[in-house]
Amino acid sequence: MSTEKPFNLILSAHAGQTSIPSLENITDFSLNITDCNQVVVPEEVFFTVAAAGILENLLVLVAVIRNKNLHLPMYFFICSLAISDMLGSLYKTLENIFIILCKMGYLTRRGDFEKKLDDAMDSMFILSLLGSIFSLLAIAADRYITIFYALRYHNIMTLQRALVILAIIWTFCAGSSIAIALFSHEVATVIPFTILFPLMMIFILCLYIHMFLLARSHAKKIASLPTSAVHQRTNMKGAITLTIFLGVFLCCWAPFVLHILLARFCPHNPYCACYMSIFHVNGTLIMCNAIIDPMIFAFRSPELRSTFKKMFCCARYNWNWWKLNEGEYYRSTPMQHHFAELKILTQNDTTLAGNCR
Amino acid sequence: MSALRLISNRTSQQALSNSDYTWEYEYYEYGPVSFEGLKAHKYSIVIGFWVGLAVFVIFMFFVLTLLTKTGAPHQENTESSEKRFRMNSFVADFGRPLESERVFSRQIAEESRSLFHFCINEVEHLDKAQQSQKGPDLESNIHFQEVSRSSGTLEEDLNCLAKYNIPNFVNTEQNSSLGEGDLLILQPPRVLESKTAMQSSHRILD
Repeated sequence: MSTEKPFNLILSAHAGQTSIPSLENITDFSLNITDCNQVVVPEEVFFTVAAAGILENLLVLVAVIRNKNLHLPMYFFICSLAISDMLGSLYKTLENIFIILCKMGYLTRRGDFEKKLDDAMDSMFILSLLGSIFSLLAIAADRYITIFYALRYHNIMTLQRALVILAIIWTFCAGSSIAIALFSHEVATVIPFTILFPLMMIFILCLYIHMFLLARSHAKKIASLPTSAVHQRTNMKGAITLTIFLGVFLCCWAPFVLHILLARFCPHNPYCACYMSIFHVNGTLIMCNAIIDPMIFAFRSPELRSTFKKMFCCARYNWNWWKLNEGEYYRSTPMQHHFAELKILTQNDTTLAGNCR
Repeated sequence: MSALRLISNRTSQQALSNSDYTWEYEYYEYGPVSFEGLKAHKYSIVIGFWVGLAVFVIFMFFVLTLLTKTGAPHQENTESSEKRFRMNSFVADFGRPLESERVFSRQIAEESRSLFHFCINEVEHLDKAQQSQKGPDLESNIHFQEVSRSSGTLEEDLNCLAKYNIPNFVNTEQNSSLGEGDLLILQPPRVLESKTAMQSSHRILD
């Protein structure tokens, strides 16, 4: 029993969904009517949600690569988040394809090749989780530096340093994901994995709360703000935004992390088994996270939105849309991007978009 | 791996009594789980987990909104000292941003600085003329556009204004990438700037 591999549940739980009766079919539930049967999510839903996540994140990547104005550390961190979300959705898609192949009989479920493939896919999934956590951390740290070290931001966060930081993060995530997937039967890997998750969340929360407090205290110092009702409304918006950031991540990833914990420590407990029966719903939540993350991080930037508009608008009228940037090239600083979301700018987006004809 | 095979061989092959085309699942590492004698509801962990998560998120939201209303008193003192420190560091660093900006030559910087003064003076003038509060955003937008049309391309104006207004602030706009509050705070690019210039530029960007 100590050689249990909790991550094999990911594949084996699906692999069991086959119509081929074989000698190795084992059910662990008696025919008791109070069993917790596996909650099934249709494969069409899986594929749709996964495809939507992949496309959306790919769009973000393409937009950032194409527009030279977006070659900034802030957007590189957002791209890193998009890549990790894409990996998560890709994992789910590949897993479903794998199961379909198993059902059709092209792959056996016990072969060595399949087990290696299972390990590889588990490590891809853990890579996606770790990549998401560290990307969120990098985004929060970047914003923190922007606010508290605004004047020296250019010197602290240069493009090269951002790329180096991203390289370190991804190397570390890749190494740990492979190690966790290979040694997942050890207690020593499951515990750090599950402790890392809340620790990072608390750290990110502290960073944002500090930024939030600064914003609020500066607001109080400005005498020219008209009414206190404006205070309440605007600060409420900040609170809502922050709650959405962290709430979405927590609600999408915590169920899976709990699943891993329960699979390791109490697999035979009926309560734990009932929790583990909703595994597919947890997987769908992770894919939903891949869809929601670009909306709350990438699409909030007007520059990125205007890039999308131009991409879709110019594609219709001008096939030579690689030259998007040349007409409007101006080297903007990160500060301008951070608060370039002026109403003036968004108003002028429509005029600029109109110029692409 | 061999232990897993042992387990799988040990338990008998039990096909479900239903047809062959039902969902079967293999937790081949585990033995059968019996569901008899449960004291609580069988989904109690699921319900407890989601309720706990919802309570935590709502609690976090209320803590944040309480922070906005009452705030942390000790934070005020530390913020004022930080702000003083930032002002000093800004003065010390003032010469640096221009050199680190590789794209703008000094000529362009001079030009845009004069343009900035022009923008500020224009807006100050218009602002003093109209003190009404109705649609401040719309008005400032209109004023700004008037100013900008008269002074050159829009992008240069935005560029110059944004470039020189930024040292420390938090964006308050709804569409901000920071998305923190909606409070726009400006600090003057020079210590010699008057406070009115700051307020007027704040009104523009708000």
